[in-house]
Amino acid sequence: MHLFASFLQWLHDTSFSEYIRDSTYGEPVIESVHVLTLTLFLGFAVLLDLRLLGLVMRRKRASEVLAQFNPYLAGGFTIMVISGVLLFCGDPVNFYSTIFFKVKMIMLVLAGVNVLIFNTTIGRKVSEWDLSPNTPRGAKIAGIVSLVLWAAIVAAGRAIAYALPPP
Amino acid sequence: MHAIANGLYSFCHWALESSFGHGVRDSVWLFPAIEICHLIGLAILGGTVLLIDFRLLGMRFQNEPVANLWRDVQPLMIGSIVVMLVSGFFLFSSEAVKMYGNAAFRLKMVSLLLAIIFTFTIHRQITLADETRYSPFWRKTAAVVSILLWAGVGIGGRAIGYV
Repeated sequence: MHLFASFLQWLHDTSFSEYIRDSTYGEPVIESVHVLTLTLFLGFAVLLDLRLLGLVMRRKRASEVLAQFNPYLAGGFTIMVISGVLLFCGDPVNFYSTIFFKVKMIMLVLAGVNVLIFNTTIGRKVSEWDLSPNTPRGAKIAGIVSLVLWAAIVAAGRAIAYALPPP
Repeated sequence: MHAIANGLYSFCHWALESSFGHGVRDSVWLFPAIEICHLIGLAILGGTVLLIDFRLLGMRFQNEPVANLWRDVQPLMIGSIVVMLVSGFFLFSSEAVKMYGNAAFRLKMVSLLLAIIFTFTIHRQITLADETRYSPFWRKTAAVVSILLWAGVGIGGRAIGYV
C-alpha cells in the first residue's frame, strides 16, 4: 500500500496533474465532458435496462436494441473513462482519500460483473425471448441491478466533488 | 423590458426567501441530493433526445420509422423534463438572486425555453410526419438544431458554477 501511496503522490507532483488542477479551463472542461457524456452513455444504458424490463420499445426485438445501442454505449463509456481518469489525475491523493471514490470504483466493477453475467447467460439466448411480451426473470434482474448501480454510481460521483477539500 | 426585468428579479427574490429556498440552503445534504436527481434526469432526457436525433440523422434504427421511436420514448422524455424542471427549480431557489445576475444561468434559461418550444413544435412535427413529407435535409437540420439547443442548456448549466 506504501508503494501505491507514493505512486499517487508522484502522479500528483507531475506537471500533467498540475496542469489539470491549476489551469483555468482544464478541470472545468474535462468535468463538463464527463457530466454531459452521461446523456450518451447513461441515457442509452437506462433505455436498454428499461427494454430488458419490458417497459419501453416492446415491439422492437431486444437483440436489435442491444445491437443498435452497443456502439453508443461503448463510445460513451470510453469517453466517461478517459475523462474520469483525467479528473482523477488532477487530484489523485485527495480523490483516493474519499470513501465515495472507493465505493464508486467498487460499484463500477459490480456493474461490469452484471454485464458479464448477462452476456454469458440470458443475453446469449436473446433470440429465444426477442419479442416475448414478458421478458425473462434473468433479463429483469440484470436491468434492475444495472439501474440501481448506475444511480448509486452517479450519486457517489457527485459526492466525491463535495468531499474534496476546497481548492 | 424594464418591467419584465423587475418582475423576474422579484420572482428570484420571492424564491430565495420562500420556505423551500431556505430549506435547501440551510440543509447540508439537500442540495447535493437534488443535484443527483437532476443529473439522473439529465441522463434520461439526453438519452431520449439523442436517440431521436441520431435516428433523424440516419445513424440508428434505419428500418424503424422515427415516429414509432418518438412514441416509444415520449413518456420518458416528458417525465425526465418534469424531473429536471422541478429539481432544477429547487436548486435555483436556494440561490435565486445570485442566479439572476449569472450569465451562464441566463444562457441556460434562454436555451431551455427555445429547446422545449422547438422540441414540441417543429421537431415533433417533423418526427411524427410521414417519412416522405420532409426532405432528409430538413430532418437532419431539425436534429442538429435540437442537439445544439439542448447542448446549450447542458453547457450553460455546467458553467453556472464557474462564472
